[in-house]
Amino acid sequence: MGEVIVVTSGKGGVGKTTTAANLGVGLALLGKKVALIDADIGLRNLDVVMGLENRIVYDLVDVVEGRCRSKQALIRDKRYDNLFLLPAAQTRDKSAVTPEQMKALCTELSEEFDFILVDCPAGIEQGFRNAIAGATRALIVTTPEVSAVRDADRIIGLLEAAELNSPQLIINRLRPDMVKRGDMMDIDDILEILAIGLIGVIPDDERIIISTNRGEPVIALDKDSASGQAYRNIVRRVMGESVPFIDFDENKSVFNRLKKMMGLGG
Amino acid sequence: MSRPAVEFKGTKEGVTIFCLDGANFEDIISNLKTRLQQRAAFFAEAEVRVDVGSRQLTSKEKELLADVISNYSKMKLAAIQTLSDRQSAITADRGSASAADAMREGYREGRSLVIKRTLRSGQSIHFPGHVIVLGDVNPAAEIVAEGDIFVFGTMRGNAHAGVSGDRSASVAALKLAPTQLRIADVISRSPDEDTLPDHPEYAFISENRIMIASVTTKFGM
Repeated sequence: MGEVIVVTSGKGGVGKTTTAANLGVGLALLGKKVALIDADIGLRNLDVVMGLENRIVYDLVDVVEGRCRSKQALIRDKRYDNLFLLPAAQTRDKSAVTPEQMKALCTELSEEFDFILVDCPAGIEQGFRNAIAGATRALIVTTPEVSAVRDADRIIGLLEAAELNSPQLIINRLRPDMVKRGDMMDIDDILEILAIGLIGVIPDDERIIISTNRGEPVIALDKDSASGQAYRNIVRRVMGESVPFIDFDENKSVFNRLKKMMGLGG
Repeated sequence: MSRPAVEFKGTKEGVTIFCLDGANFEDIISNLKTRLQQRAAFFAEAEVRVDVGSRQLTSKEKELLADVISNYSKMKLAAIQTLSDRQSAITADRGSASAADAMREGYREGRSLVIKRTLRSGQSIHFPGHVIVLGDVNPAAEIVAEGDIFVFGTMRGNAHAGVSGDRSASVAALKLAPTQLRIADVISRSPDEDTLPDHPEYAFISENRIMIASVTTKFGM
């Protein structure tokens, strides 16, 4: 039985889709069989980020309404044979699917796949309820902004009410320079409010924008990027490995620490 | 600064003067004199009780206390009470106790709801009694209680104590940083700067405004 993981946030634009795409590719790179489900019916994006837009024939709504089998709607990724995408319908809205149908679909897919990642729409309405219906685990994406953290807090409460306990947090778009100047919430500030486990921190990185526009997730496209490395670490943590967190504070580099130890640096 | 040896507290029966446990009697008398000189006019001819805490006064000491009050103010000394008076007031028969009621200042009873988790944004608790949270109350969560609200954690959300008009209700938290505080019909919002003391605080109504005090000074612990 595979694991069904929902990627959610409450607030829009914090990087749910990018995270789902990168984690999907990352898990596939490690040899896992992965299905990505775009639950954002009416505002689909995951196909674009994956560069698979032109291959869509059937979608999620076609599957639940019985016009095709799930196998026919799953699009095989162009680079990784064990990565599949179930796209959302663009011409319908969230009410086209019920939580029960999503649950049945996730159960069906979990028999064949190691991981099913559900890209949740923003908001707390029907789309959110659909996306979490079949999930056994939740990843919450937030950015270091008060509004995003507030929404993440709301989502954690709703997940608890749905008995989807112990969600894990991804802090996206962190800018260490701004944190250092005191202009951005730091990781501890966020964890103090949300009080859930941290599974990864992704630095703000323009290479994410470049890779997203090219339809190739940064985790595979740009192997040297800090953001790609951060995603790879999250993938390993998702699989249960314990991976140390990257310290983005440049002053704590090995060289600087050595200098400090020898009494040379400030 | 050391804490004053005596503390004045207004009650519906009049004024109660609490003597700090551990302070010696000379200090209490001299502190009482200075405080009465400063504030005797304010208290006018109110009835006054002196609560001496756990100490036992000799009859001479009691006389001295009564003399100081009559010489330095126009207040009438109604009683000198001790800690055991206070405690027997609580255990006293509730049906027959208007005298005991007068001694029960500082005690509140009622239904209460205990919540052993953190309240998150959007979660809302309404309860016709006291609410006690073992956890945090996050921003945009709310607690509305007819009685008091106690948070063993950080209170960052909205709290409304005494919602049906009880102006003696209060809100206390280990870290009191609410977005907005309401007690009965009085509203206040948090100050715009956000420096938080490390000690527990307590919000209550005094002279139609919500006041915040440290729990330790409020209760003399």
